[in-house]
Amino acid sequence: MSEPPTTGRSGDERQPGWAIPEFAAIYEEHSRAIYYLALRFLSDPHKAEDATHDVFLKAFRKMDQFRGEASWRTWLYRITINHCRNLQQAWHERHMLTSADEGIWDHTPASTDSPLRVLETKELGQRIQKTLDSLTEEYRLLLLLVADEELSYEEVASLTNQTADAVRGKLHRARKAFALLFQKSA
Amino acid sequence: MKRQNRLTSETQNQEQRSGHHTEQKPATEFVSVEEMLRHDRLHTPVPPSIEQRLRQSTEAAAPRAGASWWRRIFGGSER
Repeated sequence: MSEPPTTGRSGDERQPGWAIPEFAAIYEEHSRAIYYLALRFLSDPHKAEDATHDVFLKAFRKMDQFRGEASWRTWLYRITINHCRNLQQAWHERHMLTSADEGIWDHTPASTDSPLRVLETKELGQRIQKTLDSLTEEYRLLLLLVADEELSYEEVASLTNQTADAVRGKLHRARKAFALLFQKSA
Repeated sequence: MKRQNRLTSETQNQEQRSGHHTEQKPATEFVSVEEMLRHDRLHTPVPPSIEQRLRQSTEAAAPRAGASWWRRIFGGSER
């Protein structure tokens, strides 16, 4: 079973009001990753804020179902993905490319070897969001999950219901699509 | 994280040749999409209001004293 993470802070320094101090440590360690996934997945800071709250509350309520077979991070990611999919199903999916359109990236010239360059770091988040919004949900999710160094390809595969080999194959196309769209977003 | 400022160097060389001294913004380069996303995540703060709301919500949803599942996970350190 996975041990709850430590925060490096003493209980006295922690803000009062947490019902279970150990859960505060889990929140502190994973909240940035969960909020970032929700933000870039939903493309809306307010929805991401609500989603992050709801994901952690759901995890808190369902913690008796946590068997320790996965890491806390993976478990929280699974809740986040399901929650965000439910949220955006009604309004976001209809603006995405269909899976049949994914093949266009195979025939579009774009170098994945060239460095991605930005002049204004303050605009980086906006350009990343714009680029991610133009990708299919699958590509967007793959890139966001693989960017988390705590996850293995096998864990990403499990979270996206496919094999690790399929993840590796699709990742190449996802990177290529992102690079092309990011360059166009300048 | 490996970041480079190639554009800055190129621009400075051009300035020296032309004699112009205009303020240039440094370019940040990322060698991969993943590196860019990690950088973005690192610079995306989590709104403090989430933690405040969550503290209130978990207080209301906290398990009863003696709940066995909580002891199983955290080794008996209930509030």
